[in-house]
Amino acid sequence: MDAGLYIAAQGMLAEQVRQTQLSNDLSNASTPGYKPDQAEQQSFDSLLLQNTSTGQPIGTLQTGVTIDKVVTDTSPAPLHSTGRSLDFGIAGDGYFAVRTAQGVRYTRDGQFSSNAAGQLVDSQGDPVLSQSGATIPVGAKGTVAGSALGVFTVSGAAKQGDNLFSGAASGRATGIVHSGELEDSGTDPIQTMTDMIASLRAYQAGQSAIQAIDQTMQENASSTGSLGG
Amino acid sequence: MLEGLYAASSGMEAQQNEFNAISNDMSNLNTPGYQATEVGFQDLLYSNGGISTGTHVVTGAGSSSTIVGRSQAQGALQHTGRSLDVAIEGDGYLQVRRPDGSIGLTRNGALETNAQGQLLNQDGDPLVPPITVPKDVDADQVTISSTGTVTAGKRTLGRIQIVTVPAPDQLQPVGDSMFSVTAGSGATRPATGSGLQQGALEGSNVEIATAMGDMINAERSYQMSSQAVQYQDQMLQIANQLRK
Repeated sequence: MDAGLYIAAQGMLAEQVRQTQLSNDLSNASTPGYKPDQAEQQSFDSLLLQNTSTGQPIGTLQTGVTIDKVVTDTSPAPLHSTGRSLDFGIAGDGYFAVRTAQGVRYTRDGQFSSNAAGQLVDSQGDPVLSQSGATIPVGAKGTVAGSALGVFTVSGAAKQGDNLFSGAASGRATGIVHSGELEDSGTDPIQTMTDMIASLRAYQAGQSAIQAIDQTMQENASSTGSLGG
Repeated sequence: MLEGLYAASSGMEAQQNEFNAISNDMSNLNTPGYQATEVGFQDLLYSNGGISTGTHVVTGAGSSSTIVGRSQAQGALQHTGRSLDVAIEGDGYLQVRRPDGSIGLTRNGALETNAQGQLLNQDGDPLVPPITVPKDVDADQVTISSTGTVTAGKRTLGRIQIVTVPAPDQLQPVGDSMFSVTAGSGATRPATGSGLQQGALEGSNVEIATAMGDMINAERSYQMSSQAVQYQDQMLQIANQLRK
């Protein structure tokens, strides 16, 4: 069968994944500390074409693309003031740590609260940790000094949902904690919308390519051998 | 295939929640002691991108929003001159006994007396601990000190307590400016460093400029997510038209 049919279909499937990922980014345009994703495309291994009768190599043929990996852009986003005493933002690098039932997780979303035991907790009720890994008591006035919160360097940060990242922490990061502020979402809505349009058009181009190949094959199947027009 | 459609529509839902919260805040701009709603956004689960992708490719399922709690910011004090109006300066709530016997917390200090002279809030719930103004004392002669001590002439009638809980964000709203204590919020305890101001009411702490800004933001985000839904729809249509 014509390899082009599958190459075009691969391209469409890749655009579908990219569109899903862009939708997710756009959906999280208001999520504090959200880090947008970047889909990386990679071409499959190329084929060496040969002349079927002589075995003479003709050249290589690319066999389409696939989304190889999704890279999260963890660069810091600007902080905005909220005036809420238990909101925290990290200016610069680093993550807050919270102790979940699945182990310690990391987050840049500093929208915290106090729990019934007077500890600083995240929106899921999991305690926020200090640099030494201890829970943080909320003061009688309902405030916590920004310096009480641990800021960790995390390698291999991978998204887990609920604004949490898994990864391996290694010591203190350089970021400074600001209280009464939250980090913006890292999604750039205009860039994301533009990417979505580009992706949609690429998808459409894939459809046209498939239809063109289909038409060629149809001509081949129905007209080859018939005489006259 | 349809993941993107749902990721985009979840963004619309999340913004809709934000919109509802702001609308409620706006309609309570003039409710004494009203505390503005705070909405938090989260991303949802990530799962493998499907058969056409590498094994490390994950795509997210969109976003959700929840009400994190109520703003603890001080509302502006409005002078009323009414002797039974009190405003709380600082953290904390007044304690009342609700009709079902449970404790209610409120920052709305527009108090009244019933036929027995008991101090009640506007809903008719008596203060806890109860304070009774004797029949021979006119309401105008009642003095309430900053520490909450209620006196009429030389007679001390009782003390209005200001209480708070360890986790105010976990209080259950049971009306526009009334909350009930939950297991998550912890038991009440006296508030420290807070005082009462007689002859004044605390205005709603909704900041109209912030609320308007948040509303515009929510509207635009909603619009963009709805556009994303349409792009997803167009892609499905393109896929459906592969075979003409």
